[in-house]
Parts: sequence; C-alpha cells; structure tokens
Amino acid sequence: MENNKKKQEYWRWLEYHSVMPGKDWRNAEVLTAGVDVGSVGSKAVVMADGEIYSWSVMRTGSNSSDSAKKALGWAMENTGLTLKDFNYIVGTGYGRVNVPMANRAITEIACHAKGANYIWGPSVRTVLDVGGQDVKAIRCDANGKVVSFLMNDKCAAGTGRGMEVIADLLKIPIEEVGEVSLRVTEDPEPVSSTCVVFAKSEAVGLLRKGWPKEKVLASYIRAMAIRMSELIEKVGCEREFVITGGQAKNSGIVSRVENILGVKRLPVPNLEVTGRDPASAGAIGAALFAKALHEKSIRR
Amino acid sequence: MASEIETGTKYIPEMAQKEIDKLNKSIKTASIKVIEENIKRMKKSWNNRPKTMEYFDEVSNLFGLRAKEIKKQKEAGKKVIGYSCIFAPIEMILAADAIPVRIGSGWYDTAKLGDRIMPVEICPVIRSTVGAKMIGLSPFLELSDAVVIPLTCDGRTKLSEILSDYKPVWRMNPPRVKDDPHTLTMWKKEIQVIKEKIEKLTGNKITRKKLKKTIETMQKATKAFRRLQELRKGVPVINGRDAMLVNQTSLWDNIERWTQKVNELCDELEKRLEQKEYSSYPETPRVMITGTPMIWPDSWKVPNLIEESNPQGIVVVDEQCSGDRILYDPVGVDEWTMNDMIDAISERYLMACTCPSFTSEHGNEDRVNWIIDRIKEYKVDGVIYYVVRGCILYAMEYARIKRVLDKMNIPVYYLDTEYTREDVGQMKTRVEAFLEMLEARIDI
Amino acid sequence: MKKEKTEVISAGIDMGTQRIKVAILKDKQIIAQTQNFVGFEPTKAAEQTLKDALETAKLSREDIQHITATGASVNMAPFADSTISMMGADAKAGAYFFSSARTVIDVGAEDARAIKCDETGIMQDFVVNARCAAGAGTFIEAMARALEVDLEDMGTLSLKAERASQINASCVIFAESDVVSLIHREEPKSEIARAIFDAMAERVASMAHRLGINKDIILVGGVAKDVGFVASLNRRIGMDILIPKEPLFAGAVGAALIADKRAKRKR
Repeated sequence: MENNKKKQEYWRWLEYHSVMPGKDWRNAEVLTAGVDVGSVGSKAVVMADGEIYSWSVMRTGSNSSDSAKKALGWAMENTGLTLKDFNYIVGTGYGRVNVPMANRAITEIACHAKGANYIWGPSVRTVLDVGGQDVKAIRCDANGKVVSFLMNDKCAAGTGRGMEVIADLLKIPIEEVGEVSLRVTEDPEPVSSTCVVFAKSEAVGLLRKGWPKEKVLASYIRAMAIRMSELIEKVGCEREFVITGGQAKNSGIVSRVENILGVKRLPVPNLEVTGRDPASAGAIGAALFAKALHEKSIRR
Repeated sequence: MASEIETGTKYIPEMAQKEIDKLNKSIKTASIKVIEENIKRMKKSWNNRPKTMEYFDEVSNLFGLRAKEIKKQKEAGKKVIGYSCIFAPIEMILAADAIPVRIGSGWYDTAKLGDRIMPVEICPVIRSTVGAKMIGLSPFLELSDAVVIPLTCDGRTKLSEILSDYKPVWRMNPPRVKDDPHTLTMWKKEIQVIKEKIEKLTGNKITRKKLKKTIETMQKATKAFRRLQELRKGVPVINGRDAMLVNQTSLWDNIERWTQKVNELCDELEKRLEQKEYSSYPETPRVMITGTPMIWPDSWKVPNLIEESNPQGIVVVDEQCSGDRILYDPVGVDEWTMNDMIDAISERYLMACTCPSFTSEHGNEDRVNWIIDRIKEYKVDGVIYYVVRGCILYAMEYARIKRVLDKMNIPVYYLDTEYTREDVGQMKTRVEAFLEMLEARIDI
Repeated sequence: MKKEKTEVISAGIDMGTQRIKVAILKDKQIIAQTQNFVGFEPTKAAEQTLKDALETAKLSREDIQHITATGASVNMAPFADSTISMMGADAKAGAYFFSSARTVIDVGAEDARAIKCDETGIMQDFVVNARCAAGAGTFIEAMARALEVDLEDMGTLSLKAERASQINASCVIFAESDVVSLIHREEPKSEIARAIFDAMAERVASMAHRLGINKDIILVGGVAKDVGFVASLNRRIGMDILIPKEPLFAGAVGAALIADKRAKRKR
C-alpha cells in the first residue's frame, strides 16, 4: 500500500499478506482457516495440517462479513485455494458472528491464548493482547488453554485507536510512533488523562508549551502503558510473558510495559521465516481450533 | 428532634404530573416488552418447555394479574406489607392475614431517574427503587401500606429515609455479627417489635394457632422449592432461567398457590427425568451465579447470555437473595409455643442468612460454606461472581471467595456490570470466553 | 479624547478550548463581538481577537476601563484586569439575555455546565461535566467527520429523520466506529445524525437534572446554534429552551458585564 497520497493519512498502517515459501497446500490432509475480524483490523490465517501456510492483515471496513471475506480472500490470493478446499473455518474477534464462511465462532480470548502458545511455545503463561479497540490480559497453561482473563473494552486507552489519534495529531506515520517516542533520554510525566479524547487535548497543550513531538509522544504512550500494566498486574503476571495484537510492534508501548512490570516479553519471531505474526495470534489460534474441531467431528 | 426547616423537606423533588405520567407510561410499556421478550427467549432455548411454566410466566408480569389480585384484596380490607430484604419475617406477615410483597426494583430505566437525586456511583438497585417511586411505577410498592426495610447495607439505610417520605417505613436492625449470643437476643427483640407493628397495622392479633399455620405453609413452600432444586442437581430437565423465574415469583405470588404450582411442575419434571427428556445437553457447562440480586425483568441480561451463548451454559444453582436463598431454609420448630416459634423464626432469618453484610473473624463463613456445599451438590463447573457497580459488600468478599474456589480448582469470573443495556456486547464476550474455558476443561 | 464620566466601556474575553471570544460593552450594550480559533499560541490569538473587537467598535485599548477574562485557559490572557469563573459568566449572561432565566446550560467544545441563577444573574448552584467528551462539542465534530458531512449541515440533516439509529458506544472513539458501521449498513445519515444529537442531549440533560431544572432554561455555547442538538435537547428535557441570538458569545458577554460592575466599583 502506498502512503504517498495527496492527503497523508498518518493513522493508516500498512496492510500485508504473504504465503510461506516452499509449501504446497495440496499436500495437506487437513486445511483450516482462522478469521479474526477485529474492530480495527481483520486477519486471516490459512493452516495446512496445523502449520502456517498463508496469512493476511488488513483494515476492517465498516461491514464485518465483507471484511472477513476480503481478509481470507487475500490470504488465499495466488495460491489456487478455494473455500471448498477448507475442512473447517473458525471466526473470532469482535465480528466473529458475522464471518459467513465460518463453521463456528470462538472468542478472541481463547484464540489469542492458543495462538500465543503456537507462536512462542508451551512456556507462555501471560498474554497481553493490545487490539484496535480493547486490551486483554490472559493467563494460560502450557497447552494454550485459558486459565483466567481480564478485559478493558470500555475505553480506548492504550488501544490501536488511541495510537491512531495521536499519530494523526502529531502527523507521524503510525508505524514510526513507537520508535519516535523512544528518542527521549528520559520519560517525562505521563499525561494525566487515560481518556484518549482528553489525553489528546493534553498533548495539544504540551505542544503549545513548546515540547518537542517525541516528548509529547513519550508522555502519551507512558500513560497508556501504565493503564495496560495495571490490567496485567490485576490478572497476575507469570512468566513467560508475551504481547500479541497490532500493538506488539509498537516499541514505545512494549518497552514501557516491560519497564513498568519489570518483566521482558519474549521476542517476536521473524515473520518471513516463520509466518508467526503476533498481530495474527487470534487468527492463528482460530485456525488451530478449526483443526481440533474438524478432527473431533471425524472421530464421531 | 427534627428542626422546623428539616421536617417536610423531601428527598425527591417535585415533578410535574405530566412528566410523571409520561415516564410511567413509557417505562411500563417498555418493561412489559422486556418481560415478554425474556419469556420468548426462555421458550426458544427450551423447545419442550412444560405447560405448567405458563403459570409462572403469567405471575411474572409485575403489572398483571397478581397486582390486580392484591389490589382487590386490599380494597376488601387486607393490608399489604412490602419488604426490601429477605430478613423480613414472612410467617409473621401472613399470620396477621396481611399480604407480603418484595419491593426491590429490577428496572434499568428507573435507575436513570434515580440519578437525578444521587450520584451514579451508588448501587443501581437503590437508584432504580427510588426512580420507580418517583413515577409510581412499582405496583407492589404503591400498594404497600407499610414497608419493612432491614438496614443491611448503607444504600438500604438511606433508602429507608427516602421511602419514609411516602410510606410508613419499619426499620429492622439485623446485627452485622452473628457469632455472639447477645446479637441473636437483639434480633429476637427486632422480630417482636415487627410483630407488634404488624398487629397494630392490621388490627389482627398473631395467635399461636395462626402462626403455627403460616410456619407450616412456609415449610411446605420450602419443601416444594427443595423438590425443584433436587431436579437441578443432575442432567438438566429444567433450564436455569426458568428455575430462577419460578423461585423469584415466590416473592410476590400467593405462596400457597405458588407451592401447589411448583409441585405440579415437579411432577412433570420428575416424569421427564425418568424418560430422559432433558432441557439441555448433559455436557453443558454447569454454572453457579453468586453475588448481588438479579431482579426480574431487566436483570435477566446475564442469565440470557449464559444460556444462549455459544458454547451454551446452564445456571444450575445460585447464591443470591433473589433466587435460591429465598426459600432454602425452613423455620425449624421444636415445641409449638409462641415463644419457641418466635425463637425459631429469629434463628432461621438470622443464622441461615449468607448476606455479605455479616462479618466475623474469618469473614462471612456461612456464605463460603454455602457456596462450597452447593458447588459439590450441583456439580458446578464454574462460578460467575456477579456484582453491580457500587456494591461494596459483594465486591470486597470476592477476594476471599476467589481464593477458596482456586483451592477447589473451580474457575470463577468477576463480572461487574450496571443497570444498563449498553454493555450487552461486552458482557457477551466475557461470558462466552468464560464458558469456553469451562468447556475446554470438561473436554480434558 | 476623553469620554464622558458616566459612560462605562468594559470588555470580556472567553478563552475557550477551541475558540477565543471577545465582547465589548458600552453601558452594558454590546457594541462588538469577535472570535478566533485558539491555535497553538493562545495569548497571541487572544490579543488578536481583542484587537479585532476594538477595530469593530472603533475604540482603542485605553478606552476599555476593565477587562475580565473567563474560560478554560483563563490565565493565558495576561492583559485581563480580573477573572471570573465560567459559571459566573454564564449566569450573568443568562439573566442579561432573558430576565426570566433561572437555569443556564452551556455546552462547549470539551465540557458542559449547568448553572442555577437568580434574576440578577448571581450564580446559586452549578454542576459540571468535564469527564466525558461525549457530552460536548467535539463529539459532534468527530461524528460529522465519520459521517463525512460538514459540521454546519449536521443539524438540518438530523431534523429530516423520523427516528434515531442505535449507537451503543459510550466512548467517543468507539462511537465513531459505530457510525461507520451504520453507514455501511445503509442506515440513513439523517437518522445517524439524529442519534448522535440524542446521545449528546441525553448526557447534557442528565447533568442538568442533577442540578434540578427551573424555568426558564437558557442554552448557550457554540453548540446552541446547532438546530439538531437543540431539537434533541428540547425533546429530552420536555420544556421550552430559550437561546440568545449569539449563544457563542455568552461567556464573553457575561465576563464583560462583570467587568462593567468592577469598573464602576473602582471609582
């Protein structure tokens, strides 16, 4: 996607899709897909025999079922796959009941835990999922099963939307927001409001006071990170700790959360080589559930 | 002594009659719709729902037959005594030939009206009750000749003041500590005072014979309730919401008729159990709800989600004063002397109660034990700890209950909500995720 | 040129979160009202706005005997002689525009207030909502953007609707997403616009009810010019609402009235 349009949209993050090199889905016995329709991003993952085959990450449109179709379609592009080839499809996310080709809907909480277990292995115990419009703290066991969870979906603090708002205000492309915020030598005081609308006003006030952009960003992101860390502390942070969701790539959020909690998250695997994208953890988990459900139905 | 300025100063400000009429009409219409909708949904989830349930559906219409019935009896000279908490001694009220009705408010819309005179941080049950009074919405409250308000929590304490502008309010002082013998003595005195007030209002003496009869009536009601509960312990032949409705209607229905109808229902359900005609799949995750009362009709919000989710859950038992705690314990009498009966009533209403207003060195042990026992009896898979925002007592007991349940390896989820329909989407996600957790555990 | 001793010229400046408003009064008659966006340098903008007002009134700075400032950034108007709270200014303005005013509702860009006043414009009680942006002007702006409708057209658009769409989100940020979904579900924009105004009116009315509403009710602030919001508020409160001709300047006028009083006191 190009960012060099007439009216630069700073909040628009890059959409992407890919197919794992050297894999052929026709060799697979079980083909499943997970489609995660979030309020901001839609992700689809195709799995062949429980291994990642292809994936897509794109912006959710205003219609959930169209977004689901588009996301899965994009993941299937140039592969020769058709919907008929799938044994089972699971929908998840905010729009999970609107995934027309899904056989079943499963909450994103269960899917993120499962997906995190796949991406990082059985040592994962605590998952922080920072989505477009909500933040979830999930405790899971060695099998990726949910043990307990807490959600904050009542406000935009710390979410992707919250980042979009500040990126737009400061005219910084959203992918760079994290990095820019880390250019300060020391974190300033966080903005006092966690409400994004008021935090934005505070940010404007700071700019007027003459603060450079990176300092304003640091102050804003710090407030968000504090809010997220509180959620993790409430559910209890047991190692290993990982971050999933769109904001897993936001180094500004990640380093501050690690700093506040005193725990480092497991590093993000190389996307091109492994296909394990934390932003798609939900879709990965959904595709894995799809495989399990398909196998269960055969056994019956 | 109230000062000159102070007396006559009402909590609730004057409202234009036009506004009152308009709101009463719109909220009443909306409420009847919610009632119909809830019943429709229960029918949908249980496709061979027994015909006997229709009696309870009928009684569940708060503005319908029962209210009309009570009004008629009142016009014929009977007194109506409302009460806010299940500390009020029903046997006494019945023995004076008066009609007991619970006046707690389950209307989401009236909570907004209550916002006009108290901050939104205050318990929504209280705000809703006050809001209902502002527009005269509750048939039972309006019909009450007096209202018994046990001062169990701060909200109810102040509610008693607000309502006393409109109705004679009889306050009761349940002790916060049950362990000491003198507190039971105190409580017995409260029961005696209420007895006298009831007698004075109705003009009827509560004789030994009459009291014996009403104690036996309530014992029969408990027996019927237990019979129904027994049927919830195994594979489901009745769904949670339906059982909850049956149990809650005992709070305003004619108790003898209720007892008879429950027995009829049990006859039907016991047959079905033999024929393996279940209301839900045997593997359905079994959920217990504990916490703040869920008052009909709007508070069916969460039970609707539990029993309509994917995966579906079933509410097999609850620890709430709006449900399975109401009739759980009978009054146990040794000798049918007046003194003995009053002792027995006092004991039953105090000692059996698991309300979080109680405390002791080890916390509210009665509640913890009650929950543990029910989890075992009803083979509960998971617990939803339900708290409406503003309730300090239930919110604070969560930590202890959670540790106990963790030790028992029973998952528990703290579900905090408000008297609003706006958060249904968010509640749905949480409930579904919790049920998925339970389902996954069952699969192991 | 010396003015006659009995003539009092006062000015009020309202340093709002979005705009700066200045009003100049001569013997309590409005002779100039100007406004500018706050931008990034409020003090400069304030000075410019005052300058614009003086030009309109054909006066110089020395002619003004007293300037009182009010508003959110009240301390950024260093040339003011005194300050007054927004509530005090609103109460004064309400009574000035309508002698029957007893409740003044002021909906600004980022917050909203309700004030009880007497017939002389003295504030007796007030309630503020500064916690939630969904009860203030920014909400409409954000929604207008989401609807891809010009801000000025939102009001008339909403009046075309017979019913309002369903917007559940309590947070402005999430409400924006809701609106986008509604658009693609092909709900008429007029009904969405109406839902937006209804949601705002609901919040503003709840706030006012906490204060207790006494007739006559006056609505001021930038949002008062929006016919859509006024219609929704009317429906929600169920009573007539009076609006001055230039509701945006109520705060500045109120401050100027206070300035007038203080100028007289000094003599």
